[in-house]
Amino acid sequence: MTRILVVAETALRELVRRRTVLIILLLFPLAFYLSRRGDHLGQSIRFVCLGLGWALSTAALFAGSAARGIEPRLRLSGYGSLHLVLGRLLALWTVGVLLSAPYFLLILVDQHDVRYGAIALVMALTVLVAVPFGLLLSAVLPRELEGTLVLLTVVGLQMVMDPASTATRALPFWFSREIGTYAIDHTDGGYLTRGLVQGLSFAVALTLLVAVAAAVRLRQRRHLRFA
Amino acid sequence: MNQERRAQWLRGVLDLCVLALLSRGESYGYELSQALRAHGLGTVQGGTLYPVLLRLQRSGLLTAHWREGETGPARKYYRISPAGSAALRAAAIDWSAFAASVGAILSEEPKR
Amino acid sequence: MNHNAWLAALTGELRRHGVGPDLTGHVVAEAATHLAKSGESPLRVFGPPDAYARAVADSLGGPDVRPPRRHPGPVRLAARGITKRYRGRTVLDRVDLTVRAGEIAAVVGANGAGKSTFLRICAGLLSPDAGTVAVHGTLGYCPQDGGTAEFLNPDEHFVLIGAGRGLGRAAARRAGRAGAAALEWTPPPRTQARHLSGGTRQKLNLVLARLGEPDVLLLDEPYQGFDRGTYLDFWHEVWRWRDAGKAVVVVTHLLNQLDRVDTVLDLTASRERDA
Repeated sequence: MTRILVVAETALRELVRRRTVLIILLLFPLAFYLSRRGDHLGQSIRFVCLGLGWALSTAALFAGSAARGIEPRLRLSGYGSLHLVLGRLLALWTVGVLLSAPYFLLILVDQHDVRYGAIALVMALTVLVAVPFGLLLSAVLPRELEGTLVLLTVVGLQMVMDPASTATRALPFWFSREIGTYAIDHTDGGYLTRGLVQGLSFAVALTLLVAVAAAVRLRQRRHLRFA
Repeated sequence: MNQERRAQWLRGVLDLCVLALLSRGESYGYELSQALRAHGLGTVQGGTLYPVLLRLQRSGLLTAHWREGETGPARKYYRISPAGSAALRAAAIDWSAFAASVGAILSEEPKR
Repeated sequence: MNHNAWLAALTGELRRHGVGPDLTGHVVAEAATHLAKSGESPLRVFGPPDAYARAVADSLGGPDVRPPRRHPGPVRLAARGITKRYRGRTVLDRVDLTVRAGEIAAVVGANGAGKSTFLRICAGLLSPDAGTVAVHGTLGYCPQDGGTAEFLNPDEHFVLIGAGRGLGRAAARRAGRAGAAALEWTPPPRTQARHLSGGTRQKLNLVLARLGEPDVLLLDEPYQGFDRGTYLDFWHEVWRWRDAGKAVVVVTHLLNQLDRVDTVLDLTASRERDA
């Protein structure tokens, strides 16, 4: 447990020291929100949630890439790959919660006649999904640029594709629009359930994949035996 | 006397002077530096003297041992070894010949 | 500079210049006696400590003869038949290395001879195409570069690596600072690794590898960017670790230290022999 907490604390410190990144991260969803603030209030909520997801996955992608260099050494110093994964997830989830909180307050103040609870749920799921999504990209794609392009594609598709089509369910942030519709347009509970199931499945699956990817990359090699 | 020139000359013969002083009896660093000064060789600083002593000791021309002084801290006393005495005798003859040659050149009357 | 400060500096400089502990004691005591007697400034009598230490080291005419070592202990690292190919080119061909507790092995060879590859295989960071490595005890590894986190300061590095080795915060920081002091380095409390010079970052790297006192140390040219003094300090530390019963493997391309190691693994030779 101590090891996980130390990794989490270290990851948080590293993130906090990248001031510019932090500021962009914080303002990025705001730009999304304001872009739709004029024409359609509800749309601005959907956009801010996507913006949060995008910002957070990007942060996770970069944090994951930055850690690649030192992780083998940490593994060698007595950390298990699970310590490293859980520590980093914990740190980024914390960042996600801190990042979402002001936007939730903003919606609370700025918007009326929406289901606030459902919006909180969208944000929570966004945080849960975005972090392992970004980490997984950093684990699979060795270069940050490639990961960033994939993120750009995913979020872009998410914005332009019709949420009603089945194919969009394969996108990690589909739940955001589904539950968003439930929250804003007061549709039936089916939207909520479908969104919840999709979001949770993605959160669990992505987290597992991140753990597996780390376990494989940082595995104890077969030729080496400790006696 | 030109300080720089004296330092240059001394560099070549300091080990011989030290051996010669020690052939009269054992001594320690500070006393040796005083003796060199008393013989008109000026101040030989510790930074020059001790490395020479160390080198002579390493090459077996001197032996050394520590002894408590009557006052103050322990001192490292140096004594000349048989090999040192032999080296000194040989070098003293060489030096006399060398100094005589230099003297002869310097004192020659210029020809008209 | 007063007498004591000068004498303390001289002690350090003599050690750096490879003068053994006994002789260092004698030289310092002799200088102290002289200074007490003459009452003059040490800078005037002996000059700066490093210059005097150099003069002493020069007058010795060669490295200090080290006392015969104890018998080496049990085998700590045994690499057998390590073979590695890159794109059809055999970089390592059935390389063997055995290092016991209290031994230093130097891995030498030209650029591209596979020195770093061999060490990474020993550390388990890379899989060989054939061969096994058995490690008896814990492993510390110092990479050639990298291995530090840009945005963390030295103390945070100590805590992070220390936690992996089971050290608490305070203990990790203490151990790290002690290791740094042995390399004549005082880690600045707030400077992040990205603001450290190359040589200083390598010091951090080296201290991290040593944290938690692993039994086997794998050092991949850890002295890059070190100045001469630090380089000497580094070798003194390596000898000290050996005397403490550690098994040390050092990748090096500098051959002037080879007379002071126990085993030399020349990878250039091994490949050319089989070519």
